[in-house]
Amino acid sequence: MKSRFGRQCFGPNIPENFTKLSLYQLELLQNFGTGPLIRRQYNPIWSLRMKTSFLALAAMLTATATTAQDLPQAGNNWFSAAQSELKSRLAITPNTGKAKNVIILISDGNGVGSNYAARLWMGQQAGGFGDDFVLPHEAFPNLALSKTYNVNAQTPDSAGTGTAMHSGVKTKAGVIGVDETLNRGDCSQVQAATVANAAEIYTNLGKNVGIVSTARLTHATPASVYAHSADRNFEDDSKLPEGCATPDISSQLLDAMKAGTVDIALGGGRRHFIPKDTKGEEGKSGKRTDGRNLIKEAADAGIAYVWNDETAAAADLTKPVLGLFESSHMKYEHDRTGEPSLAEMTEMAITSLAGGENGFFLSIEAGRVDHANHAGNAHRMVTDAAAFAAAVARADALTDDADTLIIVTADHEHAIAFNGYCGRGSSITGLCMGVDSNGIEHTGEPNLAADGQPYTVIGYLNGSGSVLREDMNWAGVRPAGLDEETATDPDYIQQALIPSRSETHSGEDVAIYAKGPWAHLINGTVEQNYIFHVMHHAATVE
Amino acid sequence: MLRRTFVTHLIAGLGTTATAHRSIAAEPLKMRDLYNKDLSFSDIAQDRDGSRVEITGFMAPPLKADSKFFVLTKTPMSVCPFCETDAEWPDDILAIETKRRVRVIPFNVRILVNGVLRLGSHTDPDTGFVSRVRLTDATYR
Repeated sequence: MKSRFGRQCFGPNIPENFTKLSLYQLELLQNFGTGPLIRRQYNPIWSLRMKTSFLALAAMLTATATTAQDLPQAGNNWFSAAQSELKSRLAITPNTGKAKNVIILISDGNGVGSNYAARLWMGQQAGGFGDDFVLPHEAFPNLALSKTYNVNAQTPDSAGTGTAMHSGVKTKAGVIGVDETLNRGDCSQVQAATVANAAEIYTNLGKNVGIVSTARLTHATPASVYAHSADRNFEDDSKLPEGCATPDISSQLLDAMKAGTVDIALGGGRRHFIPKDTKGEEGKSGKRTDGRNLIKEAADAGIAYVWNDETAAAADLTKPVLGLFESSHMKYEHDRTGEPSLAEMTEMAITSLAGGENGFFLSIEAGRVDHANHAGNAHRMVTDAAAFAAAVARADALTDDADTLIIVTADHEHAIAFNGYCGRGSSITGLCMGVDSNGIEHTGEPNLAADGQPYTVIGYLNGSGSVLREDMNWAGVRPAGLDEETATDPDYIQQALIPSRSETHSGEDVAIYAKGPWAHLINGTVEQNYIFHVMHHAATVE
Repeated sequence: MLRRTFVTHLIAGLGTTATAHRSIAAEPLKMRDLYNKDLSFSDIAQDRDGSRVEITGFMAPPLKADSKFFVLTKTPMSVCPFCETDAEWPDDILAIETKRRVRVIPFNVRILVNGVLRLGSHTDPDTGFVSRVRLTDATYR
């Protein structure tokens, strides 16, 4: 790769973002009259070592230049707020201590776009326009972008992404705790392809391990913490192919809890733990065909079992705890009743795990942001994302930045998109209102498309909200008369273009937010499996 | 009564009926009107048990061809092939027993169903589908 000075700078293994950072540093320094010196001594390794000090110097010079100048906008609120932000960031020093605790919070399907929607939703619920609201994780000092693709999929699935974050290797779509040498569904290849997962790795470090999810505990993301499976769908024995020697995923969770590699697991998925002729506490039948009742087996092994908000609140957290709060996934936050919230489960888990001398590893998933996006229902997407934000805040409040690394991210994004040009305060789930050139808040009149109809702020590229209809030979006309009340109804499905029963994931980058020991390593545009390596480094550094 | 007067009254009566029908159609029930948050039946549902009602929703993919039965859901059934092996039925569904054989409506088209509301557990004899609430003698558009 050529630098702007025509010099061959890097070999093929140097990440592209590194080049950009280095050139940016050069530009900064050249602006301050040190360019010739840098050009003479420039080489990538030296540049890497000096990166932090250069940027600090540049920032200091920038700050000095700003404060030294008498700018007419100095009294502007936006100007002074940014100055305050700059000062607080200049005071940040990297935490290079050892992380006693590591918490990763994954909001499934909550990429940069979905997170933006959540920000506006929470801000508008708080009475503001929403744009300027700060989600709890957005206040974290470190940020990177994560490239989420699976080894064989430009558009990733949660099994491959979960394995990347919990085992440190990218792998194929649909497989859990195994590397890319395995062909999906082939049980005979599991042993050879197995990689160590987070439950095994952090247990070996003497840490307690916890899993929390609003999806089924056997679903892809939580399963990637503790399981090895040739297919994410092997959630109970009824799904295993004939002759498969690898236990189903729910059996693996029970085995992990018996072995002490998982100490607390809270989520949904009761049906995969009980036989098909047995009904759970809420009257729904199980799925197992081998007759095993894993809940009973767990109780026999001394594991406390809880199944609703009341039993969860009364749980003996000195014991291992298995919480199965729904037959399938837990309810959307909008519909939740009789179940603990994600924040409440987060507190349960931290309280349970914190007693260990060597700290803990905890993986928390907001599993239903993804499902609401799949359904094309923006209301349930943002309300579950808000529940996730509450869990982030709870985890942060219950731990100490000095010894706890917190990572907040998503596993992938969706085919969600945002229309314009909307005025300030347009409801994020409602219609895109006009910009008021004479004021701040929107005009109150929806923008109209070329068909004369209004449109919502959020749309999806595909999904069940498609305006194309099979009975019209896949032609379509957007429904007339969409109003704000209809668009903001909790059950409204945002309009989409391409017809499909389920809206899809997308391969777009997602954000990683971090605070605590070694969180400064979360920086730049990185491969998703890098997250594992930062967590592991923080937990093992001497 | 003169023939002309009778015709006028008839037209007026039809107009009144049509207006009344439009009034009902303008405010059909929503699926969520039938349930409280804990999924017990709402007062609206209990008050209208045995009465003819109109409800909007989406037709789930029929479980059996050429039947007189389908399931109404409040949002289109979303089946993610990457995420699920089975259809995930929501808790708040409505079984529809139709007057005529089911004509399949595309999954993304909202429909209006008219039928007699019946509360209580029921197993559809053809499909074995168990429901807590259904509309019988139903038509839809």
